[in-house]
Amino acid sequence: MTHLPAPLPTTEIPLGRLARVVRSKNAGPTCLTIDLFFPDAQAYARAAASDALQPQAVAPLYGVPVSQVRRFELPDIFALKLSLPRRRCAGDPGDGDCYGAQQHVPLLEVML
Amino acid sequence: MTAPRVATPVATTGALPGTAGAVGRLLRTHRPGQEPLRVLSASGQLGYGIVEASLERGLARRPHFIGCDMGSIDPGPYYLGSGAMAAPEAMVRRDLGLVLAAARRHDIPLLIGSAGTAGARPHLAATLALVREVAQAQGLNLRLALIDSDLDSAVLTRALAEGRLQPLDDGEGPLPLPTAEDIHACGHRVAQCGTETFRRALTPEVDMVLAGRACDTAIFATLPEMLGYDAGLALHMAKIVECTSLCCEPGGRDAILAELWPDHFVLESMNPALRATPASVAAHALYEQADPFVVEEPTGTLDLRQARYQAVDERRTRVTGARFTARSQPTLKVEGARWVGSRAVLLAGIADPVMQGELPTALAKVEAKVRALLPLSEGQAWTLHPHVYGQDAIAQVPAGQTRQTELGLVLEFIASDAALAQTVAAVFKQNLLHHGYPGRLSTAGNLAFAFTPSELAAGEAYRFAIYHRLEGEDPAQIFQIRYEALDTPATPAATPAITEACPA
Repeated sequence: MTHLPAPLPTTEIPLGRLARVVRSKNAGPTCLTIDLFFPDAQAYARAAASDALQPQAVAPLYGVPVSQVRRFELPDIFALKLSLPRRRCAGDPGDGDCYGAQQHVPLLEVML
Repeated sequence: MTAPRVATPVATTGALPGTAGAVGRLLRTHRPGQEPLRVLSASGQLGYGIVEASLERGLARRPHFIGCDMGSIDPGPYYLGSGAMAAPEAMVRRDLGLVLAAARRHDIPLLIGSAGTAGARPHLAATLALVREVAQAQGLNLRLALIDSDLDSAVLTRALAEGRLQPLDDGEGPLPLPTAEDIHACGHRVAQCGTETFRRALTPEVDMVLAGRACDTAIFATLPEMLGYDAGLALHMAKIVECTSLCCEPGGRDAILAELWPDHFVLESMNPALRATPASVAAHALYEQADPFVVEEPTGTLDLRQARYQAVDERRTRVTGARFTARSQPTLKVEGARWVGSRAVLLAGIADPVMQGELPTALAKVEAKVRALLPLSEGQAWTLHPHVYGQDAIAQVPAGQTRQTELGLVLEFIASDAALAQTVAAVFKQNLLHHGYPGRLSTAGNLAFAFTPSELAAGEAYRFAIYHRLEGEDPAQIFQIRYEALDTPATPAATPAITEACPA
């Protein structure tokens, strides 16, 4: 079956609507990793080219220095990945997300 | 727990009898290239319920060995610190029963890593006790290799003094190097063993390996490496199958089969509804992995930059291209959690919008009031950690997006003893309930309780003090391996060969 992707709106839309998957998880208790999967090459290209998903824009959302945000591009699978240190070690007294599974939320409303 | 009432297996510790076990038979008979090595991953979290139908479909494919991962650092410092298992014991017994029966029925090796969640001595001992119980109930004979992953504190303090204990994240993360006092204070300290240690454990006489803390990859990559398969391919295969069918579309917890050839491997979920597609398998390389291209193992680095994923059909994917580079000196990931106090929590809700706005101030004022009301004895201390659900308990909420709905309040108190934690929680509750502030409308009470008592004892609290890289140690000196033969009399109830009375 041929499937043509619906044309993307020309105005900005939030990441939560452009991406197919927006997920976060610990990569060990001191590190957080965020995976963004896009439905097609067009959506991926738009996200990959956006300044809003560069370390400079992402770092303040998580309260970490820009130099500590690592970004990976995986065009073959239409994916972007961001890895950054957790501000608190997983499970420390006062930590609110031991698995880091809900830390994607600050990105959902980022406009692309 | 059901107390065993029949014969206990005769446990022989030390050298195993010289006859070949399941490992010896596999190493002797399998020829790479003539047929694929069929690797069945039965569980990525043993003790949370193996899907039996998928396991059976996997067994019908005549796997050469079965592997299960049983642990993770994800559930937090409590399990490593306390020695408790995260998975419920009854479910661990059930899952162990399934894989033990399967492995012995097919006479193939069974490998389990990170026993009992955190893989320290109490976890290994609790899991071993269940293995013995299941072996006895099923009348199995079993030759076990046990890997002890606990670290003596002296190894770590020496490494710390010599600069051989390093942060895993270039020092940017939230966990500083531990002090010598931190190291001593950790209830348990473990290192993750890799293929080098599994290789030592997998002597020909062995049927089963039960490892303490272990790299997930070691469970699945060691036997292939011993048979001469490429280390890069074996480790890449291992890295994917340790999560069973999570690499599929849709993801699942069902058993997965990898067919390993000298230059590629093919993945297939044992649940017919789940498809391992090139995209879903490639995407899995990102899962819980800070760097999607580079994976550090104790003995070297796995490089996935050249990995390629091709569809075999709708449900199977063929994988090639991973490269492994050995490093001259092995490095080990080490873990430790230390006790920080006893925990009590207060659960409440706040619907009143005025009180919601006042909450940060109210908490500070009530804390000061409670500290004044409750004089502490020598050595006593407590801390408050508020989790305000609806504001910023989970993630930073951007300005203007705070939600004007009900707030859920979890006040976490950590104190030097359990009675103090409970006392502080109770006094705090009553004072916050009746805290007065300017502009207050709801003068009868500030909190909604779903039930009473709303202040609950929540056990002991721990934090990770060690999650670091240990350099310059020989894994052969760190990880102790011992062997045990479980010989269950064929008809337990009728056999007189009972060597010891069972605990009632």
